[in-house]
Amino acid sequence: MAAWVKGGAASLDAAVEAAADLLAKARVPVLAGLNADVGAVRAAYRLAETLGASLDPVSGRSLYAELGALSAGGAMTTTRAETTARADVVLVLGNRPWDGDLVGEIAAAPLSRGGAAGAERVLLSLGGPQNGAIRHVAYAAEAGGLPVALGHLRAFAKGHLAGEAAFADLAKRLFAAQYGVVIYDAEEVGELGVEMLQGLIRDLNESTRFFTLPLADPFQGRATVQLSAWTTGQAPRVGFGRHQPEHDPWRFDSARQIAAGEADAALWLAALPAPRPDWLGRLPTVAVVGEGSTEAAGETAEVVITVGVPGESVGGALWNQRRGVIAYVDAKVPTEAARAVDVLARIRDRLIEKGVSC
Amino acid sequence: MLTRIHGGRVIDPTAGRDGVGDVWIEDGRVVAPSDRTPDETIDATGCVVMAGGVEVHSHIAGGNVVMSRLLLPDLYVSEAAPNGHPFAQAGGSGSWIGANYARMGYTTAVEPALPPSNALATHLELADIPLLDRGGLAVLGNDDHLLQVLRDGEGKAAVRDLVQQTLAHARGLGVKCINAGGASAFKDGVLKLSLDDEIPCYGLSTRNIMAALLDAVEEIGVPHPLHVHCNNLGLPGADDSFVATLEAAEGRRIHFAHAQFYAYGVADPENPMTGGFRSAAERINAAMEAHPNATYDVGQVVFGQTVTISLDILRQFGGRKGAKPKKWVLSAGDAEGGGVVPFLYRPRGPVSSLQWAIGLELMLLSSNPERTILTTDHPNGGVFTEYPRIIHLLMDAEERAKEIATLPAVVGERSGLPGIEREYTLSEIAQLTRSGPAKLLGLTDRGHLREGAKADVAIYRDDRDRTAMFSHAKLVLKDGQKIVEDGEVVAWISGKTLSLDVEADAGMAKRADAYLQDRFGAGLDTFAVPDAAFPETTETFEDVACRA
Repeated sequence: MAAWVKGGAASLDAAVEAAADLLAKARVPVLAGLNADVGAVRAAYRLAETLGASLDPVSGRSLYAELGALSAGGAMTTTRAETTARADVVLVLGNRPWDGDLVGEIAAAPLSRGGAAGAERVLLSLGGPQNGAIRHVAYAAEAGGLPVALGHLRAFAKGHLAGEAAFADLAKRLFAAQYGVVIYDAEEVGELGVEMLQGLIRDLNESTRFFTLPLADPFQGRATVQLSAWTTGQAPRVGFGRHQPEHDPWRFDSARQIAAGEADAALWLAALPAPRPDWLGRLPTVAVVGEGSTEAAGETAEVVITVGVPGESVGGALWNQRRGVIAYVDAKVPTEAARAVDVLARIRDRLIEKGVSC
Repeated sequence: MLTRIHGGRVIDPTAGRDGVGDVWIEDGRVVAPSDRTPDETIDATGCVVMAGGVEVHSHIAGGNVVMSRLLLPDLYVSEAAPNGHPFAQAGGSGSWIGANYARMGYTTAVEPALPPSNALATHLELADIPLLDRGGLAVLGNDDHLLQVLRDGEGKAAVRDLVQQTLAHARGLGVKCINAGGASAFKDGVLKLSLDDEIPCYGLSTRNIMAALLDAVEEIGVPHPLHVHCNNLGLPGADDSFVATLEAAEGRRIHFAHAQFYAYGVADPENPMTGGFRSAAERINAAMEAHPNATYDVGQVVFGQTVTISLDILRQFGGRKGAKPKKWVLSAGDAEGGGVVPFLYRPRGPVSSLQWAIGLELMLLSSNPERTILTTDHPNGGVFTEYPRIIHLLMDAEERAKEIATLPAVVGERSGLPGIEREYTLSEIAQLTRSGPAKLLGLTDRGHLREGAKADVAIYRDDRDRTAMFSHAKLVLKDGQKIVEDGEVVAWISGKTLSLDVEADAGMAKRADAYLQDRFGAGLDTFAVPDAAFPETTETFEDVACRA
């Protein structure tokens, strides 16, 4: 465990005290990042409530593209395992799903379950990188990008547009599915695109079964959404400044709050690696960061406390990308590092002792 | 500390108690009357004293409950939080759920749908429900591994071991099957499934799957009987599914979830799917009388906006176009998945009024309220905070008649409710909400006030206005500690998650791990619910023993 206060090495006790002092003075504190295990994020919610602070996960942009469309029109989804074993037609949207092993794994796996078991899978792409290494049928997106392309595709699928266009052919292939899946990244497709996609899926389900497989962000956003929902009844971003949880993605955007001068202190939680925010160092900040990370240094913020990295040096409940659920991961190489959950709970306890209450 | 609750009307049907008397408590348990001077005497004069309420079927945690909050963020209202608990006023949150149950005098609640594939998140959520003991029922009946074992005819021992391994890893309190085979069939294009219809690709039927689970539950000695959500929920003629399933149990213990949604007889035999439905409460009641092995919870409907949450994806897909507002989420999951469909039980609407009437009729026809437990299948029939109003209607025929008078004539034309004069007694309410559900769950330490019981006690001011009486308990004790006074929470304690004390068979665990690795590329460890996952609490779980 290492900690620094104003650049000088400090004990954990001293750093917790300094963190509590810093946050206690703030009028509009923000807790940002939230890339940590579920226990630590849970502790962050409790700390924010005590402070009257707002919470903003680093995964925000990806989450809102999904959540906005979800609350507007709903969704039809499936899992990676069901896609791999059962989906006889798979449409890969955009570029991002081609990163990583997902598409390659699906392409290589035989259809092993459901009515299409044993058949050959049809792999399609729309607006993708035209990856030649994996055999598939590629359709180009239009100039307007994926949302417009999805709109046109849906129009052909519904019969509102007709002709020999490529999308007419693509729509036919989709309707031929027994169990079809569209893989996409919400941040890449955007909220309007996700909404159009889910409309297309609803239309396809008039005659066949078709679902979506949205990719999860890499920063524990899916786990944070769940915890936020059962803790506050609402998704992040959430603020507690008015004695009750208020969900407002615009108002509690930490980057916006800081740029506008609204926020006067921050706590940056990144027990797992997260993109360093450009505001770090621009306002009084407590950084709770993973040991060994580039931010684990005295100059990162006014108060810096290093913590164990969940799944590496400490155990923790984390989002399992492969399974699409929260799963517990033991420490690979346990160290004496403090756990983020304990550090945040201690800061909160000190604030309560100081009589801080929103 | 020795506490005496003095002078209240003590209602404990399990001991034949209904009269003014005392209840003695020490170290979190009900004890025999003592000659010692109590450390504290609670004056319950003018009050009714009951065991804490026990909930058997309420959707209070899990992926679909989370999804319902994201789909309908405006369903519940958050209010400014008083000091004491950070999130209890956050509408729809886990803390809000715990606080509202406790205010009504409930001290235990069970989530009936604990998906083994998402067990840890569900348990993390359950653990964040304060004030109550809670538990979850592990859902089986659509998972490919189980269906493979059945298809391949591996025998009862293999099924038992797989069920036991699943229970142990998911840390369930019991086993539930939801439209067994229905989710699997749905993924292969099936849109309606009855008891003996074939599940594509497996050559099985709901009957086969359910029978195997009924046997496994008995062999393992799970105290709670198999908790069954039948085929064809909510459709005219669903009473046929209910009765056929009851008979298919062949005398084995079975619990039916939300029976009201199956008490729909076909109104027009010439046009069964378009002619609407009529109450089949009398038929269901007669079937229950003939099958003492069975119990059900009601799934009472209440008027107003709600959201339906079910792992029965086949049913939720079928009902999606009835969504109000017009949006829904359907998840074709690794086994069941599920659906979240908003729904409005239109106040004084003919259909919702008939549903409302059928639920009450079921309870009022019941000869044994311990077998016909009060639920709203929260939030599917409506929010659980409506229990006091439902109790009021059961206890007060005049109040019921007033409400019926405001409803469409269909209530009288298609249900027998208006002709029923019965009024529930307080003892019967205690059977409906305490002793019945506790017995059903096999929790012998609660649901009554006999010596040795947990000191989970609810004290209500006796009031003819039963809605007011049961909405805000005067005092609630959890394990002997005061948690509610005058309807407000005064101590934010954490209860325990009740899970069955079973161990996975080592051979089956190894086999399951290999199966999961092959199917998911991730093994049994990703399905586990270890104590270490609950870093801020100790002793989250409490073991419940199997039947001898």
